[in-house]
Amino acid sequence: MKFYRSHVLVCVDPECLAKGAHDILDGLQDELVYQGLIDEVQVLETSRIGGCANGPEIVVYPEGVHYVGLSVDQLPFLVEEHFLKGRVVESLLAKEVKRADEELGPPKPKEVRVVLRNCGKIDPENIEDYIAEDGYQALGKVLSEMTPEQVIEEVLASGLRGRGGAGFPTGRKWQFCRSAPGSPKYIICNADEGDPGAFMNRRVLEGDPHSVIEGMIIAAYAIGASRGYIYCRAEYPVAVRTLNIAIKQARNLGLLGDDILGSGFSFDLEVRMGAGAFVCGEETALMASIEGKRGEPRPRPPFPAVKGLWGKPTNINNVETYANVPQIILKGAQWFASMGTEKSKGTKTFAIAGDVNNTGLIEVPLGITLREVIFDIGEGIKGGKKFKAVQTGGPMGGCLPEQYLDMPVDYESLTAAGSIMGSGGMIVMDEDTCMVDIARFFMEFTQDESCGKCTPCRVGTRRILEILERICDGHGKDGDIETLEMLCQQIKATSLCGLGQGAPNPVESTLKHFRHEYEAHIYEKRCPAKVCRGLIHYRISDNVCTGCMVCARNCPVEAISGERRQVHYIDPDICIRCGICQQVCNFNAVEVY
Amino acid sequence: MSDNSNVTLTIDGQQVTVPKGTLVVEAARKIGIEIPVFCYHDKLEPVGMCRMCLVEVGTPVINRETGKPELDEQGQPVIRFFPKPMTACNTVVSDGMVVKVNSESALADRKAVLEFILTSHPLDCPVCDKGGECPLQDLTIRHGPGVSRFDYEDKQHFPKRYPLGDLIVLDMERCIICARCVRFQNEIAHDPVLAIEERGRNAHIVSYSNPGFDSHYSGNTTDICPVGALTTRDFRFGARAWELTNYPSVCNHCGVGCNTVLSTRLGKIKRIMPRQNEAVNEIWICDKGRFGHHFNGSPRRLTAPLVRQGDELVETTWDDALRRVAEKFAAIKQTAGPDALGGIAGARLSNEDLYLFQKFFREVIGTNNVDHRVGLNAALEDETAYTVGVGCDTDLGRVGRDTTILVLGADLDEEAPILYLRVAGAASKRGAHVINAGARRTKLDGQAQTVLRYRCGSAAHLAWGLVAEVLAHGLVNQDWAARLEGLADLQKAVQAYTPEKVAATTGVPAEAISAAAKAFAGAENGIILFGLEAGSDPSLRAAVEALALLTGHAGRPDNGVIAVLPHANSRGAADMGVLPHRLPGYRPVEGQAGLSAAEMLTPGSPVKGLLIAAADPAADSDTWRAALEQLDFLVVQELFLTETARMADVVLPARGVAERDGSFTNLERRVQAFDPGVPAPGQAWADWLIISALAGMMGADWPYASADGVMAEITRSVPLYQGMAFENLVAPITLERRTSHYIYEGMSFTADIREGVQWPTLAEGDASLPLRFVAPADPPAADDGDFILAAPRVLYDAGRLLAEAELVQPRLHRPEAVLSAGDAARLGVQTGDTVTVSRGDVSVSLPVRVDRKLETGIVLVARNLEGRPAEKLLGPAGLVAAVQVEKGGGMKAEG
Repeated sequence: MKFYRSHVLVCVDPECLAKGAHDILDGLQDELVYQGLIDEVQVLETSRIGGCANGPEIVVYPEGVHYVGLSVDQLPFLVEEHFLKGRVVESLLAKEVKRADEELGPPKPKEVRVVLRNCGKIDPENIEDYIAEDGYQALGKVLSEMTPEQVIEEVLASGLRGRGGAGFPTGRKWQFCRSAPGSPKYIICNADEGDPGAFMNRRVLEGDPHSVIEGMIIAAYAIGASRGYIYCRAEYPVAVRTLNIAIKQARNLGLLGDDILGSGFSFDLEVRMGAGAFVCGEETALMASIEGKRGEPRPRPPFPAVKGLWGKPTNINNVETYANVPQIILKGAQWFASMGTEKSKGTKTFAIAGDVNNTGLIEVPLGITLREVIFDIGEGIKGGKKFKAVQTGGPMGGCLPEQYLDMPVDYESLTAAGSIMGSGGMIVMDEDTCMVDIARFFMEFTQDESCGKCTPCRVGTRRILEILERICDGHGKDGDIETLEMLCQQIKATSLCGLGQGAPNPVESTLKHFRHEYEAHIYEKRCPAKVCRGLIHYRISDNVCTGCMVCARNCPVEAISGERRQVHYIDPDICIRCGICQQVCNFNAVEVY
Repeated sequence: MSDNSNVTLTIDGQQVTVPKGTLVVEAARKIGIEIPVFCYHDKLEPVGMCRMCLVEVGTPVINRETGKPELDEQGQPVIRFFPKPMTACNTVVSDGMVVKVNSESALADRKAVLEFILTSHPLDCPVCDKGGECPLQDLTIRHGPGVSRFDYEDKQHFPKRYPLGDLIVLDMERCIICARCVRFQNEIAHDPVLAIEERGRNAHIVSYSNPGFDSHYSGNTTDICPVGALTTRDFRFGARAWELTNYPSVCNHCGVGCNTVLSTRLGKIKRIMPRQNEAVNEIWICDKGRFGHHFNGSPRRLTAPLVRQGDELVETTWDDALRRVAEKFAAIKQTAGPDALGGIAGARLSNEDLYLFQKFFREVIGTNNVDHRVGLNAALEDETAYTVGVGCDTDLGRVGRDTTILVLGADLDEEAPILYLRVAGAASKRGAHVINAGARRTKLDGQAQTVLRYRCGSAAHLAWGLVAEVLAHGLVNQDWAARLEGLADLQKAVQAYTPEKVAATTGVPAEAISAAAKAFAGAENGIILFGLEAGSDPSLRAAVEALALLTGHAGRPDNGVIAVLPHANSRGAADMGVLPHRLPGYRPVEGQAGLSAAEMLTPGSPVKGLLIAAADPAADSDTWRAALEQLDFLVVQELFLTETARMADVVLPARGVAERDGSFTNLERRVQAFDPGVPAPGQAWADWLIISALAGMMGADWPYASADGVMAEITRSVPLYQGMAFENLVAPITLERRTSHYIYEGMSFTADIREGVQWPTLAEGDASLPLRFVAPADPPAADDGDFILAAPRVLYDAGRLLAEAELVQPRLHRPEAVLSAGDAARLGVQTGDTVTVSRGDVSVSLPVRVDRKLETGIVLVARNLEGRPAEKLLGPAGLVAAVQVEKGGGMKAEG
């Protein structure tokens, strides 16, 4: 094999191609030949380097230098400087751009990347990239050296727990499924990531699909399954496409299909798309959906491990759970168990959103405190405001106030505090957030997503929402808090699936930790955070108003009166509390009380 | 503590032992502890969605090392309760389980669920048809909260009168989304036409079919609906449940003999409800039975005897009418001899009517000219039941994995709907092996494990092929061999019917014939059903009989043959000897057999005077009409002024099934009694009374004062009917059945009161059993371009009784020719175009319907439709024939 001292990766994404990536490719080749470096430097095509907006772009390895905005005329200079003289051309270097929310930034201190290790680093559409990062070595090891029982032992020993939220020990689940009578057995990957603002799984599917596929093949081997499904929500078209490409590539290399790696073990996979129902993330509803039925959960037991897809034993895990498996096999259970707490091992990805400076995707060892996540990794609250609460675990999670900031993030602690791990959503709220309004917001979501199969969830969640709406509108009445508390408790106890059982969590936790806000709404007809429209008023401060008339011109209901250069007045009976006056005032003269 | 098949558990402190696999809710019911349910229904798979049956469930803690339950200080097993309440409807009992039904928290949970249900419910009980027999009302009294925490204004609103079809109306506000209706349609009716649409609070029931709610079983959903969300157009706002007086009856629309209840008010039938009989109809009835009762109270009913004066029929007294008949019959008998008289009785009549009918002709007149084989019975008769009918106590609702059911030429969904539910259920729910052999696709194909598709008219060849395979592979049941006569001859006769040869004739692959024969012979239990499309071919009947006898599938429960006869009492008519060659109980007549109905109805027949009861041959066939015109004297006993009655010299008004008592024998030979529920119109008499009075006029001294009395004589003179005195027929259902199932909670009437009695077949005794071989006729050959005409039976046909049911008129089949898509394309026709179907010199123009699932080369024209097009082409008894089909209709459809 030829040895190159340098590799130049030229991005050939559509956007870069449109900007002349092919000319850059040809130009580089010519220039390298001209300068006599063609035997030392190899030019390759790649994609998704990350700077297409400023393309064409290249990355030079081993240094990992990223050049953007190239033109053909610059190439002679670049080749001479970088490859002949060994100097980085500063003027062409990619600037550090502030990444948008969903982008995965470079690891921050305190982050440990296991699941996300390849994301953004490898080409997800090229299986060789994954293989170059030790991909499918775990599978090789499993198929050639380990019995299914040993695989399960290893996963058990690692302490890996379901990353979908409930935290059931993965190895135990596999054991149940393996020992359940019946055949064929099925493997399902739950990639129906429906929590608003959560995109941990999408990132893995789009950035490192083979880690999930490899994990599934290993699980299939351990359980004795011959067929698998990845149930991915249709709102993730890129993930679906990437997965399909990955599956095809794995099949071409004999990593899926009959007689995988000559071991005699056969397994194949397909992607099934959801149709937008949140409840299809619940495992029994998900299976119903795969079967082509209405996506509704059914009571458990029987659990999927005994009676799952088409009535056969089925193992169903989350994307992140499967993505952890190859690493556990390769690096050993001990390595994995060395991270995390006593009962919650390994790392967990979180999507941090809300009022923090640094939102986005992170992966941290379990046991890290909320404070570290929010203030160290999230870099604190936006605008220097005060932290009020953090809501973990998606729409069925609870809101935790300041006193929980030093609590370790693990399954047990979160549950004890009245929230859940969930799939890893984390919404940070500052002092301007009304907790009643937040509870109302989440209730709106869950009652809308209730499938309607069981009575408590179908009717009860709507009833809670109605009461919350009334409170937010300023019509709360004595006894509402007690009714809410009882409803929450009843719905939790009597609902069929996790959606209904978890739906009251945001209400229950806010009632517990922010009861005074509810009381202010109901008894004082006041929204302390000044959010609930029914309870706030706008007025124009006499000593600040300049009488510029901007507010009066912009008021959609003509509630503002006043002559030019005179102090203006908002008629509270006409005002609809839209807040436009406050936004348009150049002198901050409009205040809320 | 428990043996292997039973488990013992404790429910609210009471111990109960139940079979493994029992659900907690059923176990509790067994010891009289009621766990309230809405979505659970024991005929449906449990789904646990209404959450009404939440209970606390605990199981003994098992020590992992010893595998034994852990014990506390008192030596009692340690019970660990599930962290959340469990639904009793889908939790299966386990040994040592502890269930708390009425604990404080379980009561609170159920109260909460009920409150949730009620907060959406409109509480319009005063105008709700379910009011008074509503599980939601009843459970609210027992388990509900006294006050609601929610405002009335917050109620959910939906359209109040949403038609799911012609028959069923949905009130979505009342619906509690238990999905019983959806599940019934999916699991039991196998017509998945209902679904829940949208989600959460917007979830609602919709019908996806066109026409809406297209199922023969839709009415049953209104019964099992636990609220008044689904109501029938028929009963909507008809009466309050507690005002109804209920009478047990038996449906007279087909041969299944579904047990029904006539719910009446002020002498009118307000609704027909199923009556529970697990051995017959379980808790279901079809829509024809439910909505087809309006003939009873019809204003077009005959109310007084009519006699002919010139061209007109005028009312007269019973005395006058009967006297005229007696005098004329006596005169004909005297001048032309007794064989110049004859009687044709439809199989709609009761056993008592039919017995006296044949007795009148045999004893008073002195002729064997009696027959019931007209109308649909002309094409299908059966005597196999006498020897190999299904064993007593056969229960199609019970047979499962060890049973093979061979269905031969029967479209059960159309011919005998409830039988379809039971056979389909045996296949889909209980794992019985159903072999559906037919010339065309029928609904049962969807549930059958094996489908055999034979060429039209070759059913008998297939049946002999199966017999030959049984013999060729030595699958004869050796316990039976000694009782069989003529085995060697049969063996010789069927040698030629090798699978290969039969395959060539029938088009069924040889391997499939062989496999079916083995599956049928090898099963522990075997049942054969044959129907109208296999027909009355004596060869087919001999083959079916031989197949049952050789394989030993006869003479014991869950084994034997069922002929899917068309009418309510087709079986009874044969039992009672309304046949020219059979006396009651299938004894052969002494001396010369009489004339058959077809012979009597041939123009130029020696019969001069005819008594026709409950039959309308003039409508069935033009030939028959011509024969009737030649008669000297025609007497008709009828409910309506039928075409035949219009030709009569004397018309005698009879009573309908709801207006009198009597008994029917269903196609499983179960004799069932029915009671009168409403008064008869005008001066109508029960048929047995008319015949009895006529016999009296003619000098006979008959002692009958009631149907009961007639049956008493039947039990004496017909050995088969020994045990069938009315006191036996109305004997209550055994206690076990009473508690096992229910139609719905809170029913305002007692629904399980009579079981009926079956008569034993020859095979159940120890008589020797003859095997006969009758060579099958060759199936009609279709020359190039010809079609094979097949005439299936449909549920909603042009029968006179159904014509009175306004509600089902849109569902009636209009005359049409059904063609496959390929044939339609070949002829260049589409649905709605006209084709002319002709055979010989008969041709009929019919509108086309294209059925994509139909086999090519076949044209279907259903039987008993308006104008009787199929009968015109085939003759009343014909099954299949080669016909020509041409595009366009030169002439108007005849009739």
